[in-house]
Amino acid sequence: MNKLAEPTTATSLRPKTLNAHTPDSQIRNPKPVMTVSGLFKSYHKKNLEVPVLKGVDLTIPTGDFTTIVGTSGSGKSTLLHLMGTLDAPDSGQIYYNDRRIDNLPAREKERLRNREFGMIFQFYHLLPELTTLENVLVPKMVQDGFWTYLRNKKAYKKQATDLLEMVGLGHRMRHKPSELSGGEMQRTAIARSLISDPRVLLADEPTGNLDAENGREVLDCLAALRKNENLTVIMVTHDDSLAEKSDHTIRLDNGVVA
Amino acid sequence: MYKLLLSWRYLKTRFIALASIVSVTLGVATLIVVNSVMAGFVDQMQSRIHGILSDVEISAPLLSDIKQPTAFIEEVREVVGDDLKELTSVVRSNALISFNFNDRQWTQHVMLLGIDDETFGKVTDFEPYLTNDIKKEKFSFDLEETGYAMFDNAGWKYRREKFWHQQELEKLQREYRNLYDEEAKRVMLDQANSSGYTADGRLIQEDSPAPSIENPTKAKFAALPKTAPDIDKLYQNKTDRDKTNADRFAAVKNDGTVELAPFDPHVGRRKKLTTEEMFNPARDQYTGIILGLGISERKMREHDGTLTEIYMVNPGDDVQMTFLSGGNAKPVIENFTLVDFYSSNMHEYDSSFAFVPLSELQNLRGMVNPLTGEGAVSAIQIKLNEGSNLDEVRDRLLSRFPPDQFALNIRTWQDSQRPLLSAIQMELTILNILLFMIIAVAGFGILATFFMIVVEKTRDIGILKALGAPSRGVMSIFLGYGMSLGLVGTGVGVVIGLLFVAYINRIADFVGWLTGQEVFDPEFYYFDKIPTIVNPTMVVWVGLGAILIAVLASVLPALRAARLHPVEALRYE
Repeated sequence: MNKLAEPTTATSLRPKTLNAHTPDSQIRNPKPVMTVSGLFKSYHKKNLEVPVLKGVDLTIPTGDFTTIVGTSGSGKSTLLHLMGTLDAPDSGQIYYNDRRIDNLPAREKERLRNREFGMIFQFYHLLPELTTLENVLVPKMVQDGFWTYLRNKKAYKKQATDLLEMVGLGHRMRHKPSELSGGEMQRTAIARSLISDPRVLLADEPTGNLDAENGREVLDCLAALRKNENLTVIMVTHDDSLAEKSDHTIRLDNGVVA
Repeated sequence: MYKLLLSWRYLKTRFIALASIVSVTLGVATLIVVNSVMAGFVDQMQSRIHGILSDVEISAPLLSDIKQPTAFIEEVREVVGDDLKELTSVVRSNALISFNFNDRQWTQHVMLLGIDDETFGKVTDFEPYLTNDIKKEKFSFDLEETGYAMFDNAGWKYRREKFWHQQELEKLQREYRNLYDEEAKRVMLDQANSSGYTADGRLIQEDSPAPSIENPTKAKFAALPKTAPDIDKLYQNKTDRDKTNADRFAAVKNDGTVELAPFDPHVGRRKKLTTEEMFNPARDQYTGIILGLGISERKMREHDGTLTEIYMVNPGDDVQMTFLSGGNAKPVIENFTLVDFYSSNMHEYDSSFAFVPLSELQNLRGMVNPLTGEGAVSAIQIKLNEGSNLDEVRDRLLSRFPPDQFALNIRTWQDSQRPLLSAIQMELTILNILLFMIIAVAGFGILATFFMIVVEKTRDIGILKALGAPSRGVMSIFLGYGMSLGLVGTGVGVVIGLLFVAYINRIADFVGWLTGQEVFDPEFYYFDKIPTIVNPTMVVWVGLGAILIAVLASVLPALRAARLHPVEALRYE
C-alpha cells in the first residue's frame, strides 16, 4: 500500500500545487494542520475498477477556511472522506498535525472522528429518532461511557444549548429533525460537529441541498466559526461562487489537484 | 449511552418489531401454562399413587397367599434393616358387592382389602382420603354419629331414621292389613245379615238390629298418622341412644327380658333375647366397611348442565359382600355396614377399593391356621424412611426372595405405575420441544424484522460511525434492541402465563360457559380442579431460553450493521 517512501517531515512534502494565494494565512499559521500526499483511491464495482483519486497532494493551513472545488465525480467527496478517516486510501499518506492518520487502528480513527474532526454532510445526516438537542449530544454520548456521560450530562447539555443558540436554534431544541427546515437541520448538524471542540471541520457540500438564502446563512455560519473558534474549516463544493468566502481554494479535477 | 437511547427509541417507534415478538410472548406463556399444569398433574398423580401404593410391596399372586406371615415379616424386617419405617399386612380378595338402591339390587365387582387399622394408615395415605372428619383424625371401622359433612344422609342418625321409617312403614302396613281384615269381616257379616243368616250360618232373628250403614273402619283409616313424627326430638340426647332405642323397639320387662317388637327380624324365632344380645339395626352395626367413593357415586348432569352427585349407598347403610374363601374357594356371603368412603380422586382406585378389618376378612375367608391362630396375608406393604433408595431396597428383597424360589411380586410404587408415569413424562418432553420450536419460529420472525430495520437504519449507522462510534457500539444497539424485545416479550409472556395458571380454573369455567362445552369435565378426569405447580426454575429457564432466542436472532442483523462501511452507509438512499 505504501508505495511512497515515508516522508521525514510533513513540511518536506508540502505540495507544489498548493493554492496559497493568501500569504497572510501562511504568515499567521505557517504549520499545516493536514497534509495529503500521493493519495490514490479507486472504487470497485463488480470487476470494474473506477479510479477516483489519482495522486492527490495538498496542504491545509491551520485555522483557515479552505475550499476544495471540483465538478461532480472529480473525487472531492472521496478526498474529504479519506481526510476524515471514514475510508482508507489505496496508497498515499494523510497527515494530521504531523501524525500519519490513514493507517491508524480503527479505535484511533474513531477517536479522531469523535474528538478532533467535525463533519457536516450535504444531507445533514441527523438521527430521525432523536430531538435536535439529543442529536447535538450524540458525539458526547459516543465519547463517554454510560456513567461518565450521566455524570457530565448537565455540562454537556449546557454546551449543546449554547451551540444551538449560537446557530440560532435555541427555540427548536425539543423538535425532531422531521419538524425542521433544511437550513435548520444543517445548522443543527453544525452544532453537532462543534460539540466535541474539534480542530478541523470537514464539510461535504453543506449548502448543496439548500436554497440560496439558507445556503448563505450556513456559509456565513461556517465562515464565522473559523474566526470565532480558531478552527480549520475544509469545505467541499462544486459551486465556485461559494469559494469566495474562503481563505484558500483548491481545485480538484478528475482525481488530481488542478 | 447512545446505544441505550437508540435501542429505546427504536423500541418506541417500531411496533412491527413488537408484533414479531408476540409469538415469543405466546410461546413463553404457553410453555409456562403447559409445564405448570403437567407438573401439577404429574405431582398429584404421583403423590396419590405413591400414597395409595406404599413404597415397596411384596405380594403373593391373587387368590394365593403368604402362609406364615409372622416369620416372613421377621425376615423382611431383617433384610430391609434400618430403612424400614413401618410395615403392614394386607389381605386382598376379589369380591362382589350388592346393595339396595331404589328397590333394586345392585351388584358390582370390587377389590376387597383387609387392612390392619393400626398400621395401614402409617404405611399409606389412607386417613386423609376418608370423607369423615372424625375418621381422618382417628381411624376405626365404627360408624360415626357425626362428621359426614359431605353427605345429606349419613351416620347413625341416618341409620336410625332409616330403620325407624322402615319400622313405621311396616307398622302402618300391618295396621292397614288389620283394618282391611276387619273391613272384610264386616262386609261378610253384612252380606250374611242381608241373607238372613249370620256369618257362622245361624238364622238371624227378626228382632236383631238392622245392619249399620256407617262404615266404622273409615274413621280408623283417617286416624292413622300420615307423616312421620319428628325423629330429631326423640334423639336429642345422643348418649342416651341405646336406651332410647331399647324403649322404642323393645318393651323391656322388669326382669330384664324383652318382649320382642313385632317388627324385629328375629321375630320368627319367638325367642326371648336380652337387649345386648339382640341385633338392633338402630343401635348395632355389622362389621364396618369402607368403600371407594366411585362405587356408590353416580354423577348426573341436570338439564341446566350442572353436575350432581348421587350416592347409591350412604354411610349407615348395610351392604352384602360375596367373596371366595381361601384354600377351598367357597363363596362367603356376609353383611357389612358402610361406615365411610375412600376418596383419593384416583378413579382407578376409588371405583374398586373396599376396605374391611384384616382379622375379620382372614376369619371369613378361613385363612387362619387353627393350630397357630396365625392368619395368612396376601401382601406386605412397606414404608421406608425418608431418603431411602427404593430401588436398592427392592433389589435387596429380590435377592433374598428370588422369583425362581418364591412366587412373590416385589415392586416399588414406581414399578407399578411405570407405564403411566413414563407416558406422561414423554408427553411433557415432546410438548416442551414443540413449544420451544414455536419460540424458535418467533426467532426467525425477529431475524427478518431486524434485517429490515438494519437496512432501514443504514444511514443512521453511517452517521454514528462518522461520529466515531465503534462497530461494537453499533452492534450493541441492535443486540440491545433484540434483548429488550426478548425481555419485553418474555416478561409479558411470563406474566400472562403465571396469571393464566393462577386463574386457570376460572378461565376453564369461562371458556366452558362461552362454548357450552365443559373444558375440564370432572366426570372424566382424576381431579375436579385443574392442578398446577409453578416451578420457578422452569419459569427462569423458559424465560432465559426465549431471551436467548431473541438475542441470537438479532446477532446476524447486528453483525451486518457493525460491518457496514461508513461511506457506503452514508451514501445509502
